[in-house]
Amino acid sequence: MADGLEATDVRVAYGGNVAVSAATLAAPVGRITGLIGPNGAGKTTTFNACNGLLRPSAGTVHLFGRDVTHASVADRAQMGLGRTFQIVEVCDSMTVAANVALGLEARLVGGNALRQFWAGKAQRRQIADATEKAMELCGITDLGAQPTSTLSTGQRRLLELARVVAGGFRLLLLDEPSSGLDAAETEQFGRILLRVLADHGLGILLVEHDMALVMRICDYLYVLDFGQMIFEGTPAETQDSAVVRAAYLGDEGVA
Amino acid sequence: MNTLLPFVIVGLTTGSLYGLAGVGLVLTYRTSGVFNFGHGAVAAAAAFLFYNLHVSHHIAWPIAAAITLGTFGVFGGLVLERLTRTFVGAAPAAIVTLTVGIFLAIDGTLFISSGDLTRHFPAFLPTSGFTVSAVVVSWGQIISAAVALLAATGLYLFMRLTRIGVAMRGVVDDATLVGLTGERPNRVRKVSWAVGCAFAAVSGVLLAPTLGLDATLLTLLVVQAFGACAIGLFSSLPLTYLGGLVVGVVAAVATKYLTKPPWSGLPAAIPLLILVVVLLTADATKLPGARKAVRGLVQQAGPLSRRTGAALLVGGAIVLLLVPHVVGAHLPVWIAALGYIVIFGSLALLTWTSGQVSLCHMAFVAVGATTMGHLTGDGVPWLLALLLAGLAVVPVGALVAISAIRLSGIYLALVTLGFGVLMQDVVFGSFLMFGSGLTVSAPRPQLGFIDGSNDKWFYYVALAVAVASCGALTAIYRGRLGRLLRGLAESPTMLATNGLRVNTTRLIVFCTSAFFAGVGGALLISQFSAVNGSAYGPVQSLLLVAVLAISGTRLLRSAILAAFLITVIPGYATTFDSDHQTLAFGLAAIVAAVVLASRGRLFAWVAKASADSDDRAARGPVADRMASAELVSR
Repeated sequence: MADGLEATDVRVAYGGNVAVSAATLAAPVGRITGLIGPNGAGKTTTFNACNGLLRPSAGTVHLFGRDVTHASVADRAQMGLGRTFQIVEVCDSMTVAANVALGLEARLVGGNALRQFWAGKAQRRQIADATEKAMELCGITDLGAQPTSTLSTGQRRLLELARVVAGGFRLLLLDEPSSGLDAAETEQFGRILLRVLADHGLGILLVEHDMALVMRICDYLYVLDFGQMIFEGTPAETQDSAVVRAAYLGDEGVA
Repeated sequence: MNTLLPFVIVGLTTGSLYGLAGVGLVLTYRTSGVFNFGHGAVAAAAAFLFYNLHVSHHIAWPIAAAITLGTFGVFGGLVLERLTRTFVGAAPAAIVTLTVGIFLAIDGTLFISSGDLTRHFPAFLPTSGFTVSAVVVSWGQIISAAVALLAATGLYLFMRLTRIGVAMRGVVDDATLVGLTGERPNRVRKVSWAVGCAFAAVSGVLLAPTLGLDATLLTLLVVQAFGACAIGLFSSLPLTYLGGLVVGVVAAVATKYLTKPPWSGLPAAIPLLILVVVLLTADATKLPGARKAVRGLVQQAGPLSRRTGAALLVGGAIVLLLVPHVVGAHLPVWIAALGYIVIFGSLALLTWTSGQVSLCHMAFVAVGATTMGHLTGDGVPWLLALLLAGLAVVPVGALVAISAIRLSGIYLALVTLGFGVLMQDVVFGSFLMFGSGLTVSAPRPQLGFIDGSNDKWFYYVALAVAVASCGALTAIYRGRLGRLLRGLAESPTMLATNGLRVNTTRLIVFCTSAFFAGVGGALLISQFSAVNGSAYGPVQSLLLVAVLAISGTRLLRSAILAAFLITVIPGYATTFDSDHQTLAFGLAAIVAAVVLASRGRLFAWVAKASADSDDRAARGPVADRMASAELVSR
């Protein structure tokens, strides 16, 4: 399965402290893959190793069939890997539309020196079109002219999603997109995610705590606990798994 | 070996004093987060105070030394600690502005009180000594080295054995722990600033007999200390002290081999080379603060209404076009101001929008000026030469930026200051730049019917260049690069994860800035027709940063105001000479930096005060809402 993200035996250690040992997962295009686990299980660390913010001390990461273990964050993004953050990364001094546009703009510039100065007419139109479509898809068209600092957490999450959608990435890593959202907002976010998946035919790897959302939208799940993959399977299989329940509820429940 | 021994001995003596200065610098940097570019200025001031007490007023040297030490210990512990307290976690540009201000204020005071001359500083320690394998070692050298070693060891023991020392050590190891040690953080900082300044004072007083009482030389002592700090990775005190010894010995031995120009300037630059090598090779996670996000400080101007914009444009154009007919004999001052507008514009783009500080901008200006001189001398048309002069600076800017760009603002500032010193010591004298006579000249332009040798005509040529440059800078700022830089200021991680190579963007803005600095330099040399290398030294670069900070954090408005401050005011007020400028701009920069660092709080306070005021509650939206709420409840 070469079309997507594959992490094999990824290990991340901070000094002698092993945060993730031997995580193996595959997030192909065309489905939503979930990565769940209790607090401190190493989910975000795995994410960071996948997109290059961290260098794994062992193991490999393949993206669309190419070994990217040693590639930079920007290089992986150029190959089509986008991500959002657990603590939303947005530019508060800009409007919502400018924030959404900045994602694609950064991707189009890459490392090209001349493109840093000029945005040609074709690129400007491309950015404007992609921004408009992404904002519509995520339901934040009305917010376009608002300064980002006035948004609620839920709106900020949608803004971040719109930015990676506009960026035209083929695989999205979403880090706890529902944290800080209420039930209705989470529900809405899930609907939008499914729409993004259908419209753009991309792949999504999702770290999430909201089990209702995970069970509803994910096609396949990986469960991480204390830095180790303890289970993988469909949502239904995961719900039935004694191992997973033990990790979440403690051993007494199953013993 | 015996021929090397004298150099090694000299190196060890001076090196131990560099090491001591470095230890003081690292100590204050780690405990307060403020890297003190004025550290060398403290050393210089101490040497001057000691000179006054001991030589002019004939006070016995131990008493004079005690008074000097006490004065600067108290000055550091009370004044500098209080000044830097607001800067914990501030943007690097604000911190650099503050300490550059301290540097200039002290430097200016020294120049005003004692003149520019280097005075002989009599050796107050015994010059007699003993012989080690045919090399004379004086007791003075032994005492100097011993004092430095004792002070460093004393600090080491103090930090191991006393309660507050242990707290300091914790802070040096991890500055965020300052509030968790149970010690009052301000007390820890007070002690370390007092110790740091006292160490600077000791090294200043002990170095003065060898260096001479030269304010500039002693003030730039900080560059020597850089090398020592770099070897200690800006965190280890013992390694910093050892680093000082290494720097001293290598530099001294180098003076034996590198005797012919242009290489004779190189030994002085060795600490800088060590710094660059360390910054290029060191693991960024090991350098304290190197990963801190670089924040831009630019204030965006609200859009002007069309009518105001048009009025400003027409009014400004009329004033600018009328200047030559109004100012009379002062016209050259105004032409120079136009050149400085371009220079300040380039610096503002770099400093305020990208948050990167260049402390060697005058070196860029000098490269532009000399290239202009050489090109026009070779018969290249004036306008083409102007463009090429700007382009010639781009690779120079790239060279500087590449060495420090992966690290944060403070290290970039360090490298640029060192680079400015290196340029002046080594490259200025070469045929590529000012040559051995340190002077280069360039003609005025002859463009068709425009006769540039006439001041009025040249004013209009310079005005056209300045307007075009300002237009280009504004276009860059409003265009894609400006957008990327504003994004970079708030969230570099976001831009990187969207595929932008952020270091390329940082490099590009550095090169752009260097280009316009070169154009400004080319304008200046045509105005003055000949320029001297001494006008482009590191102190002038610091002055640029200080004056820009005084003028605010907008792009064009600050550039214009800064150019006005640095050329037009001294042009009319002739008693405001360069020494008084250094002092005044230095003091103003300190104030500007404090405002910059506490801007958030300042704005919050103003907003709160206006929201709390009766006026607003009575007439503002609050009153409207209250009124409508009352209507509803009825």
